[in-house]
Amino acid sequence: MKNKVINLLWPLAFGVAIILLWQFGIFHKLLDLKPFQLPVPSEIASTLAANLPKTLHDCGVTISGALIGLIIGSFMGFMIAAMATFFPKWGYGGMIVVTALNAVPIVALSPIMNLWFSTGMAQKIGVVTVVCMAAMAINAYSGLNNLKPHSIDLMYSVAANKWTIFKKLRVPNSLPYIFTASKINIASSIIAAIISEYFASSTSGLGFGIKDNLRKAEMAMGWSYIVVASLAGVILYCIILLVERDAIKWHASQK
Amino acid sequence: MNTPEIQIKNVGMVYQVNNGEEIVALTDINLDIQEGEFISLLGPSGCGKTTLLRIIADLLQPTSGSVSIRGQSPKEIRMQHKYGIVFQSPVLYDWRTVRRNVCMPMEIMGIPKKERTARITRMLELVGLRDFGNKYPFELSGGMQQRVGIARALALDPEFLLMDEPFSALDEFTREKLNEDLLSIWSKTKKTVIFVTHNIPESVFLSDRVVVLSPHPGRISAIVDIDLPRPRQNSIRETSEFYEHVTKIRRSFEGV
Repeated sequence: MKNKVINLLWPLAFGVAIILLWQFGIFHKLLDLKPFQLPVPSEIASTLAANLPKTLHDCGVTISGALIGLIIGSFMGFMIAAMATFFPKWGYGGMIVVTALNAVPIVALSPIMNLWFSTGMAQKIGVVTVVCMAAMAINAYSGLNNLKPHSIDLMYSVAANKWTIFKKLRVPNSLPYIFTASKINIASSIIAAIISEYFASSTSGLGFGIKDNLRKAEMAMGWSYIVVASLAGVILYCIILLVERDAIKWHASQK
Repeated sequence: MNTPEIQIKNVGMVYQVNNGEEIVALTDINLDIQEGEFISLLGPSGCGKTTLLRIIADLLQPTSGSVSIRGQSPKEIRMQHKYGIVFQSPVLYDWRTVRRNVCMPMEIMGIPKKERTARITRMLELVGLRDFGNKYPFELSGGMQQRVGIARALALDPEFLLMDEPFSALDEFTREKLNEDLLSIWSKTKKTVIFVTHNIPESVFLSDRVVVLSPHPGRISAIVDIDLPRPRQNSIRETSEFYEHVTKIRRSFEGV
């Protein structure tokens, strides 16, 4: 218990120190920045407070797009991994394609997708789906196939069929990998959603808010959006951690 | 003598290696096993003892010869769920508690829930893990995990218990304790047991007959009857008869 408090105290103290250094202009001196280039925390906080409803609304737009894309992408990624597991000959090729897709940068994908979809939301979901699909497919495929030695033999020895092996062995075995992918994807889905908003003609969302306010030199407002985006990311990440702790309490990572 | 329960005739196993080379894992294996017999397959690494066990279990197909079990093929026996296998590692599913691990093969066989619950309780009692049913595998020691593996194999009430070096990863004290426990379980259940090991005293302590295999290529070099009285306790390891059997088997290795 005491250790836990100390473990929490250090990063907290570090965070407070950073904010203080920032607030009292030390960073500005070190990096030779003017206050209008880098607004101080108190100014960001008051701007955020004054514009909270609008910021939260924009946050909702981005996060809902990110989450829908995350769910569709994760589902598709898992299905690809499952197909690759059931049909190894075809699946291997499929996994190579997915891995290649994973290497395509979001920045390159986003403007292209912009031409495909008529609405900002659809484009956002499209980009996030592609980004999340790859990480999920690769991780889930590992989880479905990195089995302990002899665990398939055990199934085989009691005459289990392929579907039973999938359900009772491969899927539960893949859970830790799926959570790993989800943790990666939570962060990248928000990034992908924001970046896609930079390129879209949308007039709402965190990405639009950041772009628009920086263009208008409303630095504090731009930073407010950054703060909200970070908080949303952290909160979603924590939710995944909590679900994970409950769902795979048998796994080494949870001991 | 009755008709042997398991007849292994001229079994050979040749592996094709990537560069086209052939490795002869087993050659010309002939062995008859009686019902209720405790047989050990003993030999150094690479003698094909595990390969032979896997062929009997229908986890591998021999490249020549045949195995017949009560006139049926290993596959038919496997499809009737008559094998209980204990592997080198416990192969527990981490996401299942001890009880649910023992339950797993019975679920697949479609045994009714009530019957499963009763059997799990009985099996955990048998292997001395009554109070550990709701633990997860990571909460157990290696010896306890291996006991769960044995309980799981016995729970489906198999007619053949196939054990592939089940205690080789355990320390000597745990191994001897589990050897004794295994004999006591065997005397209560009367299965035909085929036990793979590279430990000479272990094979002598457990078996009715020790089948000695030698490598390159894997073949049977001797079959030694162990006529030590049963039931056997660990104290038998200190007798001169036990020592004589161990010596005899050890010499049979030096001869090849």
